[in-house]
Amino acid sequence: CVFAPKPSNVNLQTFTGCAVREFTFLAKKPGCRAMRITTDACWGRCETWEKPVLDPPYIEAHHRVCTYNESKLVTVKLQHCAANISPFYTYPKAIRCDCGVCLTTTTECETV
Amino acid sequence: DEASGLGCHLHSFNVTIKSDRRGSCHGTYIVQACVGYCESSAFPSKYSVLLASSFKHNITSVSQCCTIAKMQKIKVCLHCGASWHENMELFTAKTCQCDMCRLSRY
Repeated sequence: CVFAPKPSNVNLQTFTGCAVREFTFLAKKPGCRAMRITTDACWGRCETWEKPVLDPPYIEAHHRVCTYNESKLVTVKLQHCAANISPFYTYPKAIRCDCGVCLTTTTECETV
Repeated sequence: DEASGLGCHLHSFNVTIKSDRRGSCHGTYIVQACVGYCESSAFPSKYSVLLASSFKHNITSVSQCCTIAKMQKIKVCLHCGASWHENMELFTAKTCQCDMCRLSRY
């Protein structure tokens, strides 16, 4: 899975904010041949902070991350699927991206 | 990084304390927070993530946030009228880094 080094008029080394960015991944599920898909996803640098406060837990955090604000579902048909396997693969395509709370209802929130 | 505001850096701010013990004690002090811009991204989840979440988590967010790496205690003196004062301890950030986001509150 890779993000494309685009758009060319934006310097990614210094970019702040949250933008739609081209993203390529391998759609694969058991019983079908994997398919390379290029779509729109979200990438950026959001302002985040932590400050000491007087009361426990003594740190207040403002941790918003670059994520989907609006998306639409796209369904593709994978090739060479086994007879009893549905060939359809659905993924979200980003329409708008924004700095926001990572919603654990719709999102696998990983932090590294 | 420093000039552009990228990364995660110390940032001074004023904190004002008022205590009511034995009259009104007060003081304003400069402490440090960590503020900055760390990388984050969101993209379609892998099939294993879809399966594990009963197809609810179709987006995966991989993020870092600006965090306090090291805190320090500082002693300050509150003023309570002309002759009387009170000591207390405050925390201030010493070092900052892009690191794990606080999932519960972010």
